[in-house]
Amino acid sequence: MPLPAKAFQLWLHGVAPNESTADICRISGIKRTTLAQQLVRGKVAETTLVSISRALKRSPLDDLASFDSYAELAGPPRPPTPAELVSQIATMDLLRAVISRSSPAYGGFGDEGSSLTPALGPAPHATSVRNWVDSIDDGELRHRVSAATGVAPQNYSAQLTANRLSPELAVATARAAGVGFTGGLVATGLITEAEAGWPARARQAALNGLSDGDLTALAGERLQSLGKTLRRQEHEHEQTKKIWENLG
Amino acid sequence: MGEPRLIAILQWTTLAVCALVAIARIPSALRGQNRSVFGVFVLATLAVLLSIDVSYQAIDAWLGSENYANLLLRFVVYVTVMLAGYRIARAFDARRSVRLIIGPVGLGVLSVIGIATVVLFLLADTAGSVTGLATLPARSPENATLIEGYAAAGRLYPSFVAACVLPATYLAISQRLPRAIRIGALLLTIAFAGMALGSLYPLIPPEIGYVEAVINYTSVLCLALGLAFVWISSLMAKRTDE
Repeated sequence: MPLPAKAFQLWLHGVAPNESTADICRISGIKRTTLAQQLVRGKVAETTLVSISRALKRSPLDDLASFDSYAELAGPPRPPTPAELVSQIATMDLLRAVISRSSPAYGGFGDEGSSLTPALGPAPHATSVRNWVDSIDDGELRHRVSAATGVAPQNYSAQLTANRLSPELAVATARAAGVGFTGGLVATGLITEAEAGWPARARQAALNGLSDGDLTALAGERLQSLGKTLRRQEHEHEQTKKIWENLG
Repeated sequence: MGEPRLIAILQWTTLAVCALVAIARIPSALRGQNRSVFGVFVLATLAVLLSIDVSYQAIDAWLGSENYANLLLRFVVYVTVMLAGYRIARAFDARRSVRLIIGPVGLGVLSVIGIATVVLFLLADTAGSVTGLATLPARSPENATLIEGYAAAGRLYPSFVAACVLPATYLAISQRLPRAIRIGALLLTIAFAGMALGSLYPLIPPEIGYVEAVINYTSVLCLALGLAFVWISSLMAKRTDE
């Protein structure tokens, strides 16, 4: 559920008492019409709040937590699990790690890895949301989230496939899985790792902690689902081409 | 009465859409791109012209005022529907529909219906020039039966083709395809649903007989708009590619 406009305006007045709406929009890069529309509808998107909070050099996480619907975020921070951290590493970075750990004959550096291995790309990546949910799923998670929020399982799955998840659902998912709240917010791209309070090399450390077997198996799973996605896209592309060829 | 006006609006809108798209497709037809789709629009324009009173009277007078224009209309409709159905079935990769339409079954159905159309028309008393043959059945009980059978034959072939293609366009609505194609598939589905319903017209009570005309023109309009949507989306895709 987006933030109530009334509470949002109260917050905005508290953090930027002297700025006009035009100033706020300018520094945060939000279109004035977008903000006006959200205020008129009475619902302000979480991304709006985060952009403004960022622009004012405040903590988006704390500001989000100041709203009733996100009050849980205010509790003592719970760091992400290693599995969650690894889930926020892009598939290609995982493959690079596999090669990096291989013997020099295959272009690697052996088990130790090397500082020559390029740094990980920032979170979130192209399949962040689904990988995050998979990393905390005990098999029943989707049902619990669905029961708790009333969102139909197929709608939830559709969001994951589109690499999207509303902040409200991300928090509900974390709650249903019993993990910290920041994992979902980072995976959906609402806040950055730094804003979530994750240590700078937390993901790299989690990756280094994976055994060769676990890393290879995980990379294999990722490759398999990437293959499926690419195949589906190719199929859709072929279909579209055929339609245009015949009717264009 | 509002119905005649509603039908007039539908007729002229349909005529305008078909004619405009046909004209807009002339350059690509000259380049040899999908001439059959261009043909569908030209024939659809002709079909609408043959069902509007003013143009029907003019064309029929030229053909000898024996209502041969109506016979011509039937065959224009058959060819339009076959071309459109075949192209659309191929586009949506419905191989069974393609086989049904242009395979032995489809051509057999078309020949039987075509022969029946001609025979019934020749047996009936069709002297004069009457748009839609509206008053001919009243001439004699025999003529009523013949004209009814002639009209039923005329609706049967479009119903057959529509039933063959309908599943393919219906499935495409919910597939992961570009939005314009899905909207086009929705419009085509409406068009084919209307044509498929054609064979059920005898069930419509005569008091609301105008519903038939509304369904007919809505079908043609949706067919033209659906094809136009897919065409425009392909043009836009080409433009972004360049």
